[in-house]
Amino acid sequence: MAEVSTPHVLLGLLASGGTRHGYELKRAHDERLPRARPLAFGQVYATLGRLQRDGLVATAGQEREAGPDRTTYTLTDAGRATLDRWLTEVEPPMPYVASTLFAKVTVALLVADVDRARAWLIAQRRAHTQRLRELTAAKAAPSATLDDVVALDFAIAHLDADLRWLHTTLDRVADWHREVHT
Amino acid sequence: MTQLQARGVVKAYGPTPALRGITLDVDAGEIIAVTGPSGCGKSTLLHCLAGILRPDAGEVTWHGHRIDTWSEAARSRLRRTEFGVLFQFGQLVAELTAAENVALPLLLAGTGRREARTAALTWLERFGVAELADVRPGEMSGGQQQRCATARALVTEPRVLFADEPTGALDTLTGEQVLTQLVRLAREQGTSVVLVTHEPRIAAYADREVVLRDGLVDQSGLGLDSPLLGERR
Amino acid sequence: MRPGASLRLALAGTRTDAARVALTALSAGLATLAGLAALTVLAIPEVPGDPWAQAEQYGNALLREPGLRGGTAFALALLTIPVLALAGQCARLGAPARDRRLAALRLAGATPAQVTRIAVLETGLASLLGTVTGLLVYLGGRGLLHRPDERGQLALPTDVLPATGTIAALVLGLPLAAALVTVLMLRRVTTTPFGVVRRVRTRGPRPWPGLLIVLGLAAFSAYQPVGLWYARRDSEPPEWLPPTLLIVGGLTATIGVVTGTGWLSYAAGRVLHRWARRPAALLAARRLTADPWAGSRTFAALLAAVLIGAGAAGMRAYFEAELRLTRRTGSGIPDDPFYLRTMDLVDLTVAVAVLIAAGGLLVAVVEGVTARRRAYAALVATGVPRATLGRAIAWQSLAPAVPAVAVALTVGLLLARGLFRTPSNGGHLQTICDAGDVCSEPGGWDRYARTEWVERVTEPPVVPLEQLALLGGGSLAAVLVTVAAGVLFLRAGTTVEELRTT
Repeated sequence: MAEVSTPHVLLGLLASGGTRHGYELKRAHDERLPRARPLAFGQVYATLGRLQRDGLVATAGQEREAGPDRTTYTLTDAGRATLDRWLTEVEPPMPYVASTLFAKVTVALLVADVDRARAWLIAQRRAHTQRLRELTAAKAAPSATLDDVVALDFAIAHLDADLRWLHTTLDRVADWHREVHT
Repeated sequence: MTQLQARGVVKAYGPTPALRGITLDVDAGEIIAVTGPSGCGKSTLLHCLAGILRPDAGEVTWHGHRIDTWSEAARSRLRRTEFGVLFQFGQLVAELTAAENVALPLLLAGTGRREARTAALTWLERFGVAELADVRPGEMSGGQQQRCATARALVTEPRVLFADEPTGALDTLTGEQVLTQLVRLAREQGTSVVLVTHEPRIAAYADREVVLRDGLVDQSGLGLDSPLLGERR
Repeated sequence: MRPGASLRLALAGTRTDAARVALTALSAGLATLAGLAALTVLAIPEVPGDPWAQAEQYGNALLREPGLRGGTAFALALLTIPVLALAGQCARLGAPARDRRLAALRLAGATPAQVTRIAVLETGLASLLGTVTGLLVYLGGRGLLHRPDERGQLALPTDVLPATGTIAALVLGLPLAAALVTVLMLRRVTTTPFGVVRRVRTRGPRPWPGLLIVLGLAAFSAYQPVGLWYARRDSEPPEWLPPTLLIVGGLTATIGVVTGTGWLSYAAGRVLHRWARRPAALLAARRLTADPWAGSRTFAALLAAVLIGAGAAGMRAYFEAELRLTRRTGSGIPDDPFYLRTMDLVDLTVAVAVLIAAGGLLVAVVEGVTARRRAYAALVATGVPRATLGRAIAWQSLAPAVPAVAVALTVGLLLARGLFRTPSNGGHLQTICDAGDVCSEPGGWDRYARTEWVERVTEPPVVPLEQLALLGGGSLAAVLVTVAAGVLFLRAGTTVEELRTT
């Protein structure tokens, strides 16, 4: 899976976990997104560096322990605002969404408050179903060639898969919640 | 213009509540999909809207008439003339040929045999199964059967077509063909369609969607009615 | 598998299965009663010393005269035929669902023997229940009906009991036979659990039975011309020829009527299809051509009963004509109410047989409706009025029944006419002596006797129209009752619940 939204994932991990070392962030990332390609250390530090440059994270201090430098990072207000914005944004399902959807749902379940997550989920689902409708209508258009139909089928299949996964995930979370809270 | 309305429809099968207060509108010429997980009451809602069932409470209004108060005979006539009903399977009479099956609603309305057969053949032609006119359902494939059943549902040129999982027993490609033809012909005639399905891809053929969950309309579409999102450790 | 588990599996089932079990028990009970009645008549002891003496303790000549007893027992045994037809129809009630259930057990790992055992248990126990109940009813009836009249004679043989061994053989043998038939019928299910249901278009039944009827009637009508042919040559036909003509002709015609039900239903369906304008008739027409043998077993039993009843009516007309002739000419058969009373009993038996056969027909109609209730429910949901479906059921039952009953009545009457010639008297020379006592003196006879020609007087029997109408009308009324029952079940069975697939 591509690591397209790594910066946002790191922001999210910092938001839920507080101050962390780069090493801890890498471990948390791999743990939370288990099927993704494990994050390389170099990439973690590079991303953190960029985030720091953009003012979204800040170093919290350095601890001199028996071992190499371990810089801890923390989320700034700007970083929190960026994360919030990302969590509210609807991912344009063009032509299909897949991996970013996965990342966002995971982070939303981790981080966001219930109302905001709910609002985003409803909006995202609406976008998905709207897109599905557009693609389905396009398939029935008299001008659609075989290639068009094949490509549209591909997109429709993936959108369908997205939606099914979304529904199932929410059902699972609801079940888990019920088990834990009864 | 709203043709068909449901207001607070409640229906229970014995102790099990199937519908707990549904409100929705069906406008002329629009195609709406009623979706939701299995057991959420979709088929029951379709039966109440089509006048097959009488709700325990609430109203179903058709062009201003309260059809939930009508007698079985009156509702039966409504289903014959103004409505068309399509199921997943098992609605063709096994002993009649395809043409006779499609002509049946017209015969019931009093049309002569020859006229009814001509109309039936025209409709079978529109669905591309004219060569099956004198074939019995048991000798056809599932897709062909559904096409004949759809032809029968549309032969009286109804104002509303109710379809309950029409492609459920068909493979993807056949189902797509049947549904595409259905939608095209419905639009041509200005027939509204109420399509019950649990598949998002089938629901995508509709103009809009009404999601049911546990007998109620689910505005979120995702069953987000309980605080299920919280801290996850 | 433990016997208790087998029993539980045998008793598991829906309302249809319960109905099948109940009807199996009922048929077994009726068959036992008929069989026991026949055995009782046969058990009437011969008067010691004279095999032809009459048994004086009975008021009814049918029981008194040894010669007639065999016939009575035979007639009672014949009653088992419609009962068995009823039983056969009942066994098919809900059979597809039951077979599917057993096939599912097979797929779950049951062996063929286990599955057979379950089905046999159900049929065997139901039949046993029926036969034992029949025996109890018989014994109770014996006690209740044992009422000697003022002359000390009994109307029914309630003082005789067949041998215990024979009773046991009947009461236990019937369930065994039923179990055996079940095993045979289940062979297909136990060997392959997958039922192949593929509707292949089959050609309709061929009209060979019609040929049989024509041949049978031809043999009958040949009786007179054959006799005349020989008479013109001043010779007698060979001994075996006339009776053979009658018996073979009669049997052939009866078999033709009975086996012709399939072709008749099919033909009725085709005629209906050509002339049908309303959808109800169209539905019925197609159903008849698609499945002409539905319920034909009991329909055949009904037709056989009608045929025998028509024959009996013909016989009665013959006896009445004979009596009239006797009254006109002063000689002939004795004016014994016995003959007409016997005819009454025969009519009663025929009525009972018609009722039983109608019962079987009712089961067939109801089974047809309930087996197709899903299709009917879907039709009702798409707006077909239940009234149309009810009318279709009526057409479906009456379209073949009316011509079939008419044919059975005609054939039965013609057979009776062929068997009993027109009563006639005279047409021969007769020598009489008018001189009174002198005739017995030697030589007196030759002097005073004269020979004269007695005119031939015939008394043609009337066509018993009222009786035939009663018989035919009664049978069709019974068919209408089955239609009514079917419509009732239609109303109950086409609720929306039948449409639910999830």
